[in-house]
Amino acid sequence: MTKTEKKSFHQSLAEWKRFVYNPASGEFLGRTSKSWGLILLFYLVFYGFLAALFSFTMWVMLQTLNDEVPKYRDQIPSPGLMVFPKPLTALEYTYSMSEPSTYKHFIEDLTQFLKPYSVDEQKNLTNCPDGALFEQKGPNYNACQFPVSLLQECSGVHDADFGYSKGQPCVLVKMNRIIELIPKGLPQIICETKDTNVANISTYPDDGVIDLKYFPYYGKKRHVGYRQPLVAVQVIFDSSATKKEVTVECKIEGTENLKNKDERDKFLGRVMFKVTARA
Amino acid sequence: MELGKEKGTAAAHKQTLSPNTVTKTMNKSPIKTKKKKKDLEDLKKEADVNDHKLTLDELSAKYSVDLIKGHSLKTAQEILLLHGPNALTPPPTTPEWVKFCKQMFGGFSLLLWTGSILCFLAYGIHVHHSGKAQKDNLYLGFVLAAVVIITGCFSYYQESKSSKIMESFKTMVPQKAMVIRDGEKMQIDVKEVVLGDLVEVKGGDQIPADIRIIAAQGCKVDNSSLTGESEPQSRCPDCTHENPLETRNIIFFSTNCVEGTARGIVIATGDFTVMGRIASLTSGLSMGQTPIATEIAHFIHIITDVAVFLGVIFFFLSLILGYTWLDAVIFLIGIIVANVPEGLLATVTVCLTLTAKRMARKNCLVKNLEAVETLGSTSTICSDKTGTLTQNRMTVAHLWFDKTVYEADTSEEQNTGKTFPKSSDTWFYLARIAGLCNRADFKPHQESVPITKRTTTGDASESALLKFIEQSYSPVDEMRQKNPKVAEIPFNSTNKYQMSIHLLEDNSQTHVLLMKGAPERILDFCSSFMLNGQEYPMNEEMRRDFQNAYLELGGLGERVLGFCFLNLPSSFSKGFEFNTEELNFPMENLCFTGLISMIDPPRTAVPDAVSKCRSAGIKVIMVTGDHPITARAIAQSVGIISEGSDIAEGATSHHMPIGQVTSKSVKSIVVHGSELKNMDSEELDYILKTYKEIVFARTSPQQKLIIVEGCQRLGAIVAVTGDGVNDSPALKKADIGIAMGITGSDVSKQAADMILLDDNFASIVTGVEEGRLIFDNLKKSIAYTLTSNIPEITPFLLFIVLSIPLPLGTITILCIDLGTDMIPAISLAYETPESDIMRRLPRNPKTDNLVNHRLIGMAYGQIGMIQAVAGFFTYFVILAENGFKPLDLLGIRLFWEDGSLNDLEDSYGQEWTYEQRKVVEFTCQTAFFISIVIVQWADLIICKTRRNSLFKQGMKNKILLFGICEETLLAAFLSYVPGMDVSLRMYPLKINWWLCAIPYSVLIFIYDELRKLIIRRRPGGWLEKETYY
Repeated sequence: MTKTEKKSFHQSLAEWKRFVYNPASGEFLGRTSKSWGLILLFYLVFYGFLAALFSFTMWVMLQTLNDEVPKYRDQIPSPGLMVFPKPLTALEYTYSMSEPSTYKHFIEDLTQFLKPYSVDEQKNLTNCPDGALFEQKGPNYNACQFPVSLLQECSGVHDADFGYSKGQPCVLVKMNRIIELIPKGLPQIICETKDTNVANISTYPDDGVIDLKYFPYYGKKRHVGYRQPLVAVQVIFDSSATKKEVTVECKIEGTENLKNKDERDKFLGRVMFKVTARA
Repeated sequence: MELGKEKGTAAAHKQTLSPNTVTKTMNKSPIKTKKKKKDLEDLKKEADVNDHKLTLDELSAKYSVDLIKGHSLKTAQEILLLHGPNALTPPPTTPEWVKFCKQMFGGFSLLLWTGSILCFLAYGIHVHHSGKAQKDNLYLGFVLAAVVIITGCFSYYQESKSSKIMESFKTMVPQKAMVIRDGEKMQIDVKEVVLGDLVEVKGGDQIPADIRIIAAQGCKVDNSSLTGESEPQSRCPDCTHENPLETRNIIFFSTNCVEGTARGIVIATGDFTVMGRIASLTSGLSMGQTPIATEIAHFIHIITDVAVFLGVIFFFLSLILGYTWLDAVIFLIGIIVANVPEGLLATVTVCLTLTAKRMARKNCLVKNLEAVETLGSTSTICSDKTGTLTQNRMTVAHLWFDKTVYEADTSEEQNTGKTFPKSSDTWFYLARIAGLCNRADFKPHQESVPITKRTTTGDASESALLKFIEQSYSPVDEMRQKNPKVAEIPFNSTNKYQMSIHLLEDNSQTHVLLMKGAPERILDFCSSFMLNGQEYPMNEEMRRDFQNAYLELGGLGERVLGFCFLNLPSSFSKGFEFNTEELNFPMENLCFTGLISMIDPPRTAVPDAVSKCRSAGIKVIMVTGDHPITARAIAQSVGIISEGSDIAEGATSHHMPIGQVTSKSVKSIVVHGSELKNMDSEELDYILKTYKEIVFARTSPQQKLIIVEGCQRLGAIVAVTGDGVNDSPALKKADIGIAMGITGSDVSKQAADMILLDDNFASIVTGVEEGRLIFDNLKKSIAYTLTSNIPEITPFLLFIVLSIPLPLGTITILCIDLGTDMIPAISLAYETPESDIMRRLPRNPKTDNLVNHRLIGMAYGQIGMIQAVAGFFTYFVILAENGFKPLDLLGIRLFWEDGSLNDLEDSYGQEWTYEQRKVVEFTCQTAFFISIVIVQWADLIICKTRRNSLFKQGMKNKILLFGICEETLLAAFLSYVPGMDVSLRMYPLKINWWLCAIPYSVLIFIYDELRKLIIRRRPGGWLEKETYY
């Protein structure tokens, strides 16, 4: 019964104080300095040893890794599809044609992104033959050129605004890089929209073809200078349409091994985005 | 609270108590509106009744009743209406729903409920602020609630099962009473008996109320359930004692009339009877928490402290790291909830249930699940004598004939082989007297029952003689047929002897006069004595020997009877009409044959049990209503007072001023109830502290309560055993009350926490052993369960601090806590003790806690950390082998968690969609989970022992081996069975990912074996002080 007896506030405060520092026994938080020292030393040694063991096992594990190719690639058998530039939230491009500040960052991102694709930047790269896989045995791996001109209207060469100011915004679609992935067939990216009365879709290169010469990819370490093949999608709004808003879906077609209908992964071989252009 | 404070001074009050205060409150019409607290104080004071001192006329006037005709029917009806029925108010039974709620919201459950509510809160905040939210918190909230509800239902079911067994004890036969109203005898229900009723009772009846006797013939009552006296007491109309409990002219409600008849006036009914007062005193007592409940509260305290501490630290840390307030709050809740050991409530409940079942198999029925452990912590046992320590039946213990004391076999099984010279002729005479001059008889149809177990009619001592003769001489029935009884003078308290005259079998013409009775009375009749079958004239030497023998046997607390006979001369041969009123035959110059002494002997197993308690550091105190001499004799024979120790009589010791040193050699004391009455609590404390071996004799129920409180005041955890109503307040007040299943009264069973189904004190030792074992094993179980808390929390902490993908998710945590950890944790309840747990002192409830900082340090600080490192290693291996090297993971969280970012680049330049990397993340979580399972193998094995090496303890615990297999199979099942990826988001692992944790598992084992080795090598050393839990 005495256990439940309420202590007065002062008593418990005094007890607290004594717990924090007890001048009689020199205890701080219930331990003397020697006791603290020993227990801290114990844990220091213990954790030191544990950290050493962890580092050692990690080091051993890292030794077994290959710098060029990850040990397992079975988690990404098929590439995803992604758009560029990436809007901040979700895949919705919303801007106002009359206010450049609303699309400025898209243009900057695109310009920046396409810089490595300029002719100057690619002059050391190989001009590979079209329509065939570019398989290499090493030890040196060459990267194929991807002339930015392939993107035609969306290359930024003719229109530094990538069509945004004209209500014909460009979006880049790219297939995720996967080491040593070889598409079976001729991959092309087909983009469609249901709102055909609002806008037309154009893809560059024509028909959204991705040339086989960009495959296979040999990884960041070996395949220095690799240029990821791009497909540009231009949404050309009908100037008479009152509500300039379309949803575009792009898919990888033309191959038998690149999936585009996965139920859970909405980005496996396909991508969906929305473009809204206000006046 | 009030109550507790006043208790200490209760004894002091008693002295100044005016004798009439209670009487007034008792005899006034009951005013039910009185404050309960006041009532309780009244009840604690000794019963104070003065009706026994009144003359019959005064009595008649007081209750306005005619002592011959009784009440008129009308008056009786009126009184019944005024005072209510003559029945005990049943103790306020807790309604079922309250019991259920207690299971649902008590102690540990509260922690889980809090966790559950916090989860819903976190989910709510999330939804409110970001619209969509991960459902994890919602699920977790539901699971936590489900866990509480399921375990709550389970333990409610368990307890209601044992309370059902309790109910089966109750006999529901309505009792009848014989009253005289309007001058007519009538049978009425006991509950219709009213104050002042004229009642008649006869042998075999239960007394219907407290009755002042006005007339009695050979009436004897068995007061054992009220006072603990094992012998029936004779009752007559005269006031013989100041104390109403000891005077002969009052008989008490619910005691039994053994023989004779009596007529009296009802002086109290229902709750106002002495029995009723004790019963309501019992139900008015509040019970303290069980030690295990205290321990669990302490444990929850520690857990909460750790959780809140971690939560707050990381709350501020996450603010410093630049998370929003909202995120920080959600992290805070997440960390607190993650600290809740979801499975532990169920584990503890199941462990206790298993022990309760095991104890029930060993005849200890536990009413309250938490009481399972209490016996293990017990440091003092206050035991009632009658029926608990003793067999509660008179048995012949010693014989004295041929000037020699012989010991009879008093064991229950009659297998001690003690014997005496049955060939002596004196024995033949003695046996004949004992068998023939005896009114007891076996009840019919008991031929198959062993003699000692047969039921008899008649007085306890006569039954004892009957059984003894039947056992060691010849069938008494036959003897009686051959020697028909022709005359008899029955025993009465003035004569103090019993005489009968029989025809002799060998010579059917002569009669023999046989007599037995109080030895000094018998000796007065004798002029000769028998030695080896020969008669010798009585001489001084014989008288001296007789005195010595009588004193010796009496000093053993035994009831001694003397036996003598006289072969009647031929003038009184067959056909003589003996007249016992006029005594027309000689009744002097008899021949003294011997003495037989009887005692209610201790149960066979008790001395052993007492010595086991001793070696287990448990103090056994005898508290009995019986006489000091008997109590002391039994105490000595069962070892409560050790042989050859000096015994201080309470009377001499307590007059000594406190503090004065009593002779050190005196460690035993017998305290009389009347002395106890005059002691204040300090004096009682002094006695309890100073003496190792204590016997309290002649104690009242209230005093039993005071003794228990005294022990508790000294910090002891007290177990009380008892069977009578008089024990029930103490049973209730004790930390664990133990009632007797066979002889125990309903009131005592109701008040008790545990019931010994075989009434055997020795079962308590089993209880102590099981209780101590479960305490140790619960420690191990908790250590095991808590350890995995660290590898469960650290992933979340590093997720916050290092911004890495979450290494272990809510679902996987639940899979560990409620899945894989469950059976192994329970299996530790089956672990055998490491050392002889009955050879160590009871735990100190203040310092030896179930969960202490050392256990937390071991589980959280050491083993848990190794486990966490093992998990992280596996996690980094899987991510690295899939392309995300450890250094690239740091700070990746925001990108990783962005569902619209579907081209996240890994260390090799590959790009991952959200779903693809989530699959890898969940694979990591599965692997982290499986790593925990693997390190928990080692943890389980090291938790088997706290001090011994595993190699000494062995792997004999089959349930534990099963547990290891089960958790592994369950882990494999969760990982590999198709569909798990959709339902639980667990993915199949490559075989080598199972192996990552193995080195750490080995490390845990080696580390702990080393630690235990050092602890064993350096007892009391630093490592033991800091890590032995």
